Amino acid sequence: MFAKIVNAVELLTAVGVVVVIVFLFANEPGSAGAGGPGAQIFQANCASCHGANGEGGIGPKLAGGAVVSDFPYEQNQIAFVAKGRGSMPAFGGSLSATQLRQVVEYTRTGLGR
Amino acid sequence: MTATATARPRVSTTTKLLLMLVAGAAVAVAVGVYGNEHTPTAQGPYRLFFSGTIQLKVWFATTALVLAGVQLLLAARLYDRIKIPRQAPAWLGDAHRLVGTAAFAITLPVAYSCLWALGFQSTSTRVLLHGIFGCVFYGAFVVKVLGVRVRGLPGWVLPIAGGLVFAMLVGLFVTSSVWFFTSSSAPRPLF
Repeated sequence: MFAKIVNAVELLTAVGVVVVIVFLFANEPGSAGAGGPGAQIFQANCASCHGANGEGGIGPKLAGGAVVSDFPYEQNQIAFVAKGRGSMPAFGGSLSATQLRQVVEYTRTGLGR
Repeated sequence: MTATATARPRVSTTTKLLLMLVAGAAVAVAVGVYGNEHTPTAQGPYRLFFSGTIQLKVWFATTALVLAGVQLLLAARLYDRIKIPRQAPAWLGDAHRLVGTAAFAITLPVAYSCLWALGFQSTSTRVLLHGIFGCVFYGAFVVKVLGVRVRGLPGWVLPIAGGLVFAMLVGLFVTSSVWFFTSSSAPRPLF
């Protein structure tokens, strides 16, 4: 009986391996390209300080993977943009949760790495 | 009338070992190539009841190491390296398999997040070593599983392969969980 349970767990784990492999190739993020909503929000709210292409200005550089280095996890960057800190304004009051996610995704994948 | 034996050609032990090593190396390289070629999404795909994905990964990796430690103790009893309990129960081998499978299974969501969100990076020695340990871990695991299934192998194959898997898991733990628990630059909270 115990051996059958172990066999079942092994089989489930093998299925889990297959699922992981499938998801690695199938679960690509949505487009955060130049024409998307994230880009429009960026140009309207962020470009004046961070540059039109995220190259930096009054605010730090975001392009070239710089923002990903500062914020390895997207949710931390979203919280930062929403709450602000120092000279970085808080956008949590002016942008919706969806817009925050869209603009953050754009800075991470749409500005080039 | 002569009986014709259709015996399968014997595969030498060396050939079996080489094929196992090739399979393990192929898996390790495949994981590394995926991590290097895939554009990291830098997103936290899941966090369950933790405050973030990194917390989930750190605690899952810690759990995997604890389970692997238990599996090591069970293996030591199977090989009579320890004598507790004095009479090895009949289910010891199955328990060894179950604990090992659970330890491996719990690494899967961690590996998925690492590969999909971060990829193979070399931004620091710790990060580079972590990536290498991860690739070798899955390659060594394949060798270990094949070592269990393939018959006629020398007795030292399984302990060596299992030891390598465990060593890689320790390396992964040190370069991720230990860093997380001890570094002031690691994200917080702990859970």
